[in-house]
Amino acid sequence: MIITKTEFLLRTHLDQQTLEIWIQEEWLSPEQADPEPLFSEADLARAGLIRDLQGDLGVNKEGVGVILNLVDQIHSLRWALSNRIGNHTPTTDDGPEPA
Amino acid sequence: MKDPYEILGVAKTATPDEIRSAYRKLAKKLHPDLNPGDKSAEEKFKQVAGAYDLLSDTEKRRRFDAGEIDATGAERQHERYYKDYAEAASGRRYQSASSGFDDFAQQDDFLAELLRRREQQARRAPGADRSYELEVDFLDAVNGATRRITLPDGSSLDVTIPPGIEEGQVLRLRGKGAPSRGEGPPGDALVAITIRPHRFFKREGDDITLELPITISEAVLGGKVKVPTTTGAVMATVPKGSNTGTTLRLKGKGVPKRGGGHGDELVKLKVMVPSEPNPELETFLSGWTPGSSYDPRRDMQS
Repeated sequence: MIITKTEFLLRTHLDQQTLEIWIQEEWLSPEQADPEPLFSEADLARAGLIRDLQGDLGVNKEGVGVILNLVDQIHSLRWALSNRIGNHTPTTDDGPEPA
Repeated sequence: MKDPYEILGVAKTATPDEIRSAYRKLAKKLHPDLNPGDKSAEEKFKQVAGAYDLLSDTEKRRRFDAGEIDATGAERQHERYYKDYAEAASGRRYQSASSGFDDFAQQDDFLAELLRRREQQARRAPGADRSYELEVDFLDAVNGATRRITLPDGSSLDVTIPPGIEEGQVLRLRGKGAPSRGEGPPGDALVAITIRPHRFFKREGDDITLELPITISEAVLGGKVKVPTTTGAVMATVPKGSNTGTTLRLKGKGVPKRGGGHGDELVKLKVMVPSEPNPELETFLSGWTPGSSYDPRRDMQS
């Protein structure tokens, strides 16, 4: 599912400026499109994680970057392994149904 | 549910600061996104978060301490966690190339082979498919056409509509979808076709149907009439004594079939009496008797 920037801001309760910072820091990398980037469910959930880290968990800005980097590595590794084991079933997929 | 103080591991007399720091300590350990493979961590986190929701709210805590409410239902509902999306197609963009296991992949063993292959796979994975909708004119759908779609990013896409396309059919344009994130081929564009209805043509499978008004004299005497088809007008013969509902079949004037050949055009005649009063016709008909054996309503008599 594709989410517009306006909808994304609404659903994450973020303000425009914060979102821009998060994108600059590469914490979020939405699909670049004209005139505005397009977001996915994964981006939405990731924004939730960043909010948890900064809010409840009290992680500072540097910490967030480090954690996200490690989380991404874990998922790469998990994906690589589950692909090999052969029981990988993606939970959601953004692509449309094949024709 | 257990006692929220017990869950957070704090005394009943704990200050809000103590509660917050106890929660943070547990959340750092149990947050589902920091434990993507551990179901039990997620369950525990729900309890911890629920307990914190209760105790961090002064009013709720007061009422709980006073015994006015219990901890039932305080468990925090499942939110969306990033881990549930991270390995889906849309989350995969965040996966780091290989920094987490590059050293394994350099080695020459089973795991190395396995990780190397995955690397290649990821690099060669095609881009995502993109869906579009295109509304075409009835005649374009029958005869085929080329139409241009303007995409949200300003570029455009030429879509060749094959003759005889049907409502709801989806055209797949290879390589016209999103580009691959690695070195793979781009995805496909999927164009769903809807067809605008025509003023007088209708489609039934491979046949075209059409209702053709004719005059009384054409109906009685027969004759040549001009009939529109999807490829231009043709002359057709109305047989003598035609009626409303008589159907002419124009062979091969229907929709092109997939395997070659065409359907037919079915022309349903409709006899029209002049809508303005016509003295000549009235005079003529008052002098005309159809004969005693002729009764168009004969079949209705019981």
